[in-house]
Amino acid sequence: MSSETKKILTTDGIPLEESLKKAEKKNKLKAFLLVCPLLLFLIITYVFPIGDMLFRSIDDRMVTDMLPKTYKAMEKWDGKDLPDEEVFKAFYLDYKKLVEEKTFGKLATQLNYEKNGFKSILKKLKRKMKKFEEGNYKEQIMGVHKRWANVEYWRALKRRAPAYSYSKYLKGVDMYENEDGKIVQVPEDRRVHKILWVRTVEVAFFVTVLCFLMAYPIAHLLATLPMKYSNLLMICVLLPFWTSLLVRTASWMILLQQQGIVNDFFVWIGLVSDENRPEMMYNKTGTYVAMTQILLPFMVLPLYSVMKTISPSLMRAGKSLGGTPFVAFWKVYFPLTIPGIGAGCLLVFILAIGYYITPALVGGASGTLISNQIAFHMKSTLDWSFASAMGLMLLTGVLAIYWVYNKLVGVDNIKLG
Amino acid sequence: MKKLSKLLLTLSFALSITSSAFAVTVASWGGAYTESQKLGYGDPTAKKLGVEINWVDYSGGLSEIKAQKEAGAIVWDIIDVFAMDTITGCDEGLFVEFDFDKDFPAAPDGTPASKDFFTSMPSKCAVGNILYSWNYAYNTNNVKGTPKTIKDFFNTKKFPGKRAIYKSALTNLEIALAADGIKPGKGGAKIYKALETEKGVQRAMDKIKKLCTDPKGGCVFWSAGAQPPELLMSGEVVMATGWNGRFFNATVGEGAPIKQVWDGQGLDYEYFVLVKGGPDEANAKKALAEMTSTEGLAGSAKYIAYAPWRKSSIEVMAKGEPWYKDGKTNMVPHMPTAPENTKNYFLVDPIFWADNGTELGEKWEAMKAGL
Repeated sequence: MSSETKKILTTDGIPLEESLKKAEKKNKLKAFLLVCPLLLFLIITYVFPIGDMLFRSIDDRMVTDMLPKTYKAMEKWDGKDLPDEEVFKAFYLDYKKLVEEKTFGKLATQLNYEKNGFKSILKKLKRKMKKFEEGNYKEQIMGVHKRWANVEYWRALKRRAPAYSYSKYLKGVDMYENEDGKIVQVPEDRRVHKILWVRTVEVAFFVTVLCFLMAYPIAHLLATLPMKYSNLLMICVLLPFWTSLLVRTASWMILLQQQGIVNDFFVWIGLVSDENRPEMMYNKTGTYVAMTQILLPFMVLPLYSVMKTISPSLMRAGKSLGGTPFVAFWKVYFPLTIPGIGAGCLLVFILAIGYYITPALVGGASGTLISNQIAFHMKSTLDWSFASAMGLMLLTGVLAIYWVYNKLVGVDNIKLG
Repeated sequence: MKKLSKLLLTLSFALSITSSAFAVTVASWGGAYTESQKLGYGDPTAKKLGVEINWVDYSGGLSEIKAQKEAGAIVWDIIDVFAMDTITGCDEGLFVEFDFDKDFPAAPDGTPASKDFFTSMPSKCAVGNILYSWNYAYNTNNVKGTPKTIKDFFNTKKFPGKRAIYKSALTNLEIALAADGIKPGKGGAKIYKALETEKGVQRAMDKIKKLCTDPKGGCVFWSAGAQPPELLMSGEVVMATGWNGRFFNATVGEGAPIKQVWDGQGLDYEYFVLVKGGPDEANAKKALAEMTSTEGLAGSAKYIAYAPWRKSSIEVMAKGEPWYKDGKTNMVPHMPTAPENTKNYFLVDPIFWADNGTELGEKWEAMKAGL
């Protein structure tokens, strides 16, 4: 039967099926070529840098390659007491080679990240090493500086042995792997990252909540007022949005400081006495006020664009069906605005979690957030691998929130307009 | 004729390219500071050597030059950096190492460069540019009595009110110990010796913590150099640590009722470094020697109250008083290195901070978080 079926041919004698396939292939290629620039753009500006960051944060081959003999000798060392002569000799030989190659400075920088105080003792060793005699390197090295006789420094050295390690991530949450291979916390007076993570999330969360509480009525008003009033109101929302971030932050400082305008006003109307002016700046209050005002438009605009599409007749219908205004709002209006709320909250939260200029200026003692710490390691210590690790942890956090949001509300529900 | 004009056009175009290729690019902090550098020694040097000098602004740190090097496109020749950065950058091989007395001219009286500079350099890649002071100042309208010593900064009984201090541990730990009764010793050596120990660090932290939690005191942390005079003038704090040049501008420039206290000041430094493999390394080296000469460094002090690194520059200034650009202010008494101001001081130790900066920074943040 099938052999008898004749293939349908096109006018030029090629089977229709093949001809169609050909055309489709052409179209697919065209479509691919059209999105190609975008794809390349994404790879170059997004996939590649993030991949590079990930690699930087775990790559520790430099130190491993610089001290091959030392790490070989260290394999047998249990990390309890000071290593024996063999390790000291191997370290001496490795380091001597680095001094000859003039790359010892890089080793000093890297080891100083692991344990502070390495930099100067390595430099001192370099100076004294010229006069070293053959044999008994342990005594000679320990004679250079008392830190060389401290087992902590040798443990720190050993921690850098693996070519790839996740130790930077542990450091990001104030942990490290000790000589027994157990993951433990760093001493209490140095646990700073955890505090910063918690504070960052806390500030971002409360700023989002505050923004939502304030933006919802504004957006509603914008969407329901007659055009000539709503335009004016819109300008009031957008004007600060167009003003420089630093200018707005500085204005809040002038307004809210203890000798500032708001406090002067309170004293003038007799609300507080001149001696007991409340502190509203250089603490968390200042951070919340300034950040909420700065991020408010990012909540108002998505809410407004969603509310604009909700027909006013829906509320009327709800009321005419017997609902109180509140029930009508809660059962009809509010659920329709959820896509806007989702978009606004995500936007504000993600912006807030990476914020740092404003909290640094108005936040006082409790002002530094995790992004300040990342900037510190990017700019001052040049420990880019640690900065990368913390940057990726922040990114993972944002992705996790996105994921949770997707599970709870559904990302396809987001509407920006 | 047409051909000739075309040729001329090409030629001038080519010339403009080559002349711009022979420009030296200096990265510095911008604002009034770069202005003082440009007017004080940048322009005179450019004129003398016939080399164009371009000034670009940057916000400090080594990340930019490191990124330029990794990308293989270095655009800066000379950078104005902090001491710690000269050490890190030198170790990383970013900068050129100097043969100091050969590369830099001697003082007019023949003293070799290495003896003419205020102290020795922190690394082989650095050449001193200015010295500035971390001192403290108070608003004369808001303080009863006259604070005279660093101890007074911590004395909230005698001088109640909030203090503004720098946001990081740098220099705060030093002044805390100086106020707690440790004599700085030569260049502050005793302070740093104490800070090498856990006990010393704890003592300094406790002193700061006590000041910040004192109901009669309290702390505001500043981050930008413009903040301390601003906080003093608005009455937000009664005393503030800060950079002397900023206080000078507020008092001499704007007539603010601010008075500086030099007791227990920390001398800090700015350096120039020469980028290895910069676009015009040879000319940059010549320009650098000229800019850091006795006359050159004295020139910048005409426009800003930071002290030149060379001792011989101070002599040039003293002979030329009033040295300030307004033509009536004597500059030498405002110099952090003036004998009157260096009775009790410490030199900020870049090597100590390069060694211990991260760890102390973490401890400092942990302390601040507990306030």
